[in-house]
Amino acid sequence: MIIEKEICIGCKRCQLYCPMECINYNENQRKCEIDLDECVECGICLRSNVCTTDALKQQELDEMRKLRQTFSNPLIPHKTTSVPGRGTEEMKTNDVTGRFRRGHVGVAIELGRPGTGTRFIDVEKVAMAVALIGVTFEMFNPVTDLMVNKATGKIKDDVLNEKVLSAIVEFDVDIDKLEKVLLATKQVANNVDTVFSVDLACRLDQDNTSPAESIAKKLGFEPYITGKTNVGLGRPLFKEGE
Amino acid sequence: MTHTLHRRGTYENLKNDYVIFAIAAQTVNAKGTAPLFQDFYNIVNKYDPVNIGDMVTGNMYSLSKSVIENGTKDNSIFHAVFTDVETVVKVLKDLKEANLGLSIVVSGILKHVDKCCSEAGIQRHTVENSLGILGNTKKLPTEKVLQINTMCGHGMIAFNLIEYMAEMIKMGKKTAKEAAEELASQCHCGIVNPVRVAAILEEMAKLSVTERD
Ligand code: SF4
Ligand code: SF4
Repeated sequence: MIIEKEICIGCKRCQLYCPMECINYNENQRKCEIDLDECVECGICLRSNVCTTDALKQQELDEMRKLRQTFSNPLIPHKTTSVPGRGTEEMKTNDVTGRFRRGHVGVAIELGRPGTGTRFIDVEKVAMAVALIGVTFEMFNPVTDLMVNKATGKIKDDVLNEKVLSAIVEFDVDIDKLEKVLLATKQVANNVDTVFSVDLACRLDQDNTSPAESIAKKLGFEPYITGKTNVGLGRPLFKEGE
Repeated sequence: MTHTLHRRGTYENLKNDYVIFAIAAQTVNAKGTAPLFQDFYNIVNKYDPVNIGDMVTGNMYSLSKSVIENGTKDNSIFHAVFTDVETVVKVLKDLKEANLGLSIVVSGILKHVDKCCSEAGIQRHTVENSLGILGNTKKLPTEKVLQINTMCGHGMIAFNLIEYMAEMIKMGKKTAKEAAEELASQCHCGIVNPVRVAAILEEMAKLSVTERD
């Protein structure tokens, strides 16, 4: 995103809307300007329609700026998914796809969330830490698409310094490896310059409980009282073992 | 795309916050589902949701409900937000009976949602738990700002804008309802609960900026 200096009247109204706080007021010029290294191309400032002079402009984006945009603007679908947004269908359609089966856990580690943004250098640190344990990165996830090695979690060098609103490291792991994954996640949390939100998606056991939740609690995690429940009304229902 | 997960709050302010949404599996049953999302709309809309939105069009605070209803596509993700469990049960019963074949997900206090499913005669299939926030948590704002920010999983509501709205209420320049609906309009998918936002903003507005930590 850019601000056309000639048109900007320096009212600062747009500043409040920027989640990356990268719209700065230039005291000498009495106008606002965008720090493009910090701007993630989320488009929120423009969509909020607060600029009365139309000074905010979506510039033509090169490949790297487009990458920022696809990870930051939920209105732009990524080429590896058919749904808008920066993630995948994950457990939302698990009743129909059978993506997470009994004995497996889906793990999503969303870097930059809430509200802080992330560079891919930190995304790579987390991906490489969990890859050591032996996980299967989700094929249709935009972060997996950036990996040069899906066994090690190594991400393309040329994108490592790019900043995005958030990026999700998403994988499937055997339930007996979940403990190691969660310990590695705690460890790598000390080495990143951002925050991340962690979640576990698990097919419920016959007794209506989640074995993944019990493992997390045993390790000292305190799962939120809220969560997402796929209520199993999707059809055709996926039948395990068929 | 865990956009309705990770909602932070207290038991007291989360017990009025439930998102019900519909989605089709793009590789299995999505073809031709656009009209089914309109059926979903007709069911949820009967029960006066406090927010409605489709990821492919937008939310009811930035578009009219009819634009959202008529804009459904095969890759829609259609959301409705409710403030009580009694309504969640009614919606689930209707959805079970309608047998749309779309996957239905409910976000909210897990124990309550489990109970709602039992009452509606539904067996839960898969659950997603949030384990919270790790990493450099010094970068995070105050808890109340986080409670509002995390209602939009795509991070469309800037921390500063939330503080600003609390100040506007404090100065009498906006009502809590106006401020909450303005924040809700930022969340494209329509998953923000403006009733809950208004209550949190009102609490913030009672305090000075330094007291809000
Ligand atoms: S596009 Fe997003 S990050 Fe960039 S200036 Fe606008 S609001 Fe800020
Ligand atoms: S809202 Fe428009 S005129 Fe005002 S500071 Fe931002 S870009 Fe400039």
